[in-house]
Amino acid sequence: MDKLLSELKVKIVKTLNLTDIHPEEIDADARLVGGRMGLDSIDVLELVMMMEKDYAVKIDNKEIGAKVFASLRSMAEYITDHSPVPAG
Amino acid sequence: MRIFICGTGIISPAGSGTEILPDFLRKGTCAIGPLRLFPLSPENRLPVGEISAEDTVDSGLETEIPRTHRLAETAARQAVKNASGPPDAVVLGVTTGGMLRTEELLKQGISDPDTFCCHGTGTVARYLADLLGCKGPVLTVSTACSSGAAAIKIALEMLRSGQARRVLAGGADSLCRLTYYGFKSLQLIDPRGARPLDRSRRGMSVGEAAAMLLLEAGENIPGNALGEIMGGGLSCDAYHPSSPHPEGKGAQRAMENALRDAGISPSGIDYINLHGTGTPDNDLAEARAIVRVFGKHPPPFSSLKGAMGHSLAASGAVEAIASLICIRESFIPANTGCGDADPALEIRPLLHSVPADIRVVLSNSFGFGGNNAALVIGNPQKCGPETVSGKKKSSPPLRIKGYSCISGAGTGEETYGQIFTGKECRGTLPLAEISRNLPPGTVRRMKRLPRMALSLAVSAWKNSGLPLQPDSIFMGTGWGPLSETHDFLTQLFETDEKFCSPTDFIASVHNAPAGHIAIYFGAEGANITLTGGDYSFEQALLSAHLTAEEGEKPFLLIAADEHHEKLSPLFDRSCISDTVPSDGGGAFCLQRSGQDAGISIFPLFFQNAADNPEIISSLSSTLKNSGSEFAAVMAGIPAAFRQKGEKQLGDFLKEWPLPFADYRKFTGEFASASAVAAVLAADFMQKGRIPPAFIKGLPELPGDKGILLLGLGQFITAVGILP
Repeated sequence: MDKLLSELKVKIVKTLNLTDIHPEEIDADARLVGGRMGLDSIDVLELVMMMEKDYAVKIDNKEIGAKVFASLRSMAEYITDHSPVPAG
Repeated sequence: MRIFICGTGIISPAGSGTEILPDFLRKGTCAIGPLRLFPLSPENRLPVGEISAEDTVDSGLETEIPRTHRLAETAARQAVKNASGPPDAVVLGVTTGGMLRTEELLKQGISDPDTFCCHGTGTVARYLADLLGCKGPVLTVSTACSSGAAAIKIALEMLRSGQARRVLAGGADSLCRLTYYGFKSLQLIDPRGARPLDRSRRGMSVGEAAAMLLLEAGENIPGNALGEIMGGGLSCDAYHPSSPHPEGKGAQRAMENALRDAGISPSGIDYINLHGTGTPDNDLAEARAIVRVFGKHPPPFSSLKGAMGHSLAASGAVEAIASLICIRESFIPANTGCGDADPALEIRPLLHSVPADIRVVLSNSFGFGGNNAALVIGNPQKCGPETVSGKKKSSPPLRIKGYSCISGAGTGEETYGQIFTGKECRGTLPLAEISRNLPPGTVRRMKRLPRMALSLAVSAWKNSGLPLQPDSIFMGTGWGPLSETHDFLTQLFETDEKFCSPTDFIASVHNAPAGHIAIYFGAEGANITLTGGDYSFEQALLSAHLTAEEGEKPFLLIAADEHHEKLSPLFDRSCISDTVPSDGGGAFCLQRSGQDAGISIFPLFFQNAADNPEIISSLSSTLKNSGSEFAAVMAGIPAAFRQKGEKQLGDFLKEWPLPFADYRKFTGEFASASAVAAVLAADFMQKGRIPPAFIKGLPELPGDKGILLLGLGQFITAVGILP
């Protein structure tokens, strides 16, 4: 799980072009949307695409999305539970 | 002065011709179905509002002309069928132009610029103007899904100002991959087809259409009047690039502005035609806005997007025609697609069409960038002049309070410095340089054009030293956000149409940069983006001149274009011959005030040069009548029209032998070069001198004379920078 978390931190910074944030600074349990990083609904959709492309995990409804993108840890847990691609 | 609708034309998923619509709308027919226009992978079958092949077959129309242009032509020919002469102006809402054709060419790897000649959004309006013999201004409004309604509002102001007597206004967009996959990537498409205001709605259905209104100004109701445009209102949410303000505050302001403009109270509205896309957020925000304006018992309302889909730039014009039909045929159409009205909205749409005496309709259109427009359409026989505002507004000059530019030489001061030392300012500035005045968090989702536009906006406002932040934004861009468009389509094609970036889609919309500027400043006034190739800056200036309000609040006039390594040489034929790729833009912070003194900017002339042999003498007499005196001319001749432009300039100088500069030799070749030139002219005026390397034979700039900025080529434009 730690390996996947570190991997996701790097991917989030790269995918969302968070040039002023270092991956290590991201707290795995902090709120993703509307939190300190300033992410919004467009970023969530960008992460939806990243998860489908890199982990073959599909998220196409808002209710599941709200749970998955609550925090970095919830993203990692969802990938671990649903991805056919070996994580990490 | 009243503005009458004297002709209509429409081609939509309902069919071709206004005459088929009453029956279609009365029956509550749904024209949403599977997409046939381009091949889709099996997992990709989302319903759309597509125009059937039978309706698009027109004799003599070659397929060389992209679909949007052909749809626009069909609608325009219907609208002008009984007109006594060509329109004085064309004002059209378009968001994707020749994109469907461009996608096919890019997929095939074709790189002949001639094949992309109809790519630009501005080419649709120009195509119509040339077909109909329109010699006046031709404007293209790209404010995403409110484009059609915003275009009608600008046409309304043009007619009220007396600059035109007859204007063709409307909107056109064909289906294309960019919008189909773009809205899909945002998860905004309802797999069952749009069900606006339904409890279980999941989104919209992307559609296509072209709809045109022939508008005529007059004091008395003409015999051929079908209806009247009583007023229009514009606003911006200044909230988010793609989501509406949750309380519908921007939508509320647009409706209130439209009612005020029409001189009518909410109780005077008999029917509200909703924007009603079917997305959960839009419908909720719009319902809340309606409650704020009309209370909990508003007049009957319905959305037509469950019947026809959302035809983007055309929808505002489609719905204006539908509103007219309700007035003329005395009924209210149903909110097709909605079976179980959402109780969370607190107000209920009409689920079945009903007969009703309709005198006045309010029609809403909202778009990305928080861009809102609302129109008030009435029955001229039943709403007398006493209820119509109809006053001709005075229009004090647009005073230049601040300015800035970006060129290959750098930002404002760096560019002026370079020009004053006798050098050119061609080239492209590195991305990091462009946005060095902006925080990294603000620009993280911005590629080249939005960074340029926001940076220009911020520095022009700072340069003004004004304490009040700008309230309205008028932006011109010849080609829009090319980096985002390129990246979106490239990823789409490389992944066999499986993946595309939602961020790139939202940012590819031509009015996205102006939306960012509005969010940055909290600018909740009008927010208009004009996209007319090399004449985009002049179009934005004309729109600002027509719609900017008088008062203390400053507003911004900006034009910018980015150079894109792959797309610019395909789309912009002027940049191919230039040895140094160049881009940039200019921005002004303006105030409209009669009392104030200071340098002003004025749109003096805008005519289509096609089949217009009198154009130079017409320009000449306009200048003579304007009473302005000029010390020098700055001429913009796009390289693609070099020969034609030089001939035009030569003819002009025979009548007005003034010292002149051929400014694209200094700025390089890009569509918004005229905005940089306008800023340079303002700087020359401010400093009282023009560098001799720029204009020979003019050691000092006389304090009482202005600089004339000429745009040449396909159009001739004249802008005065006046003392």
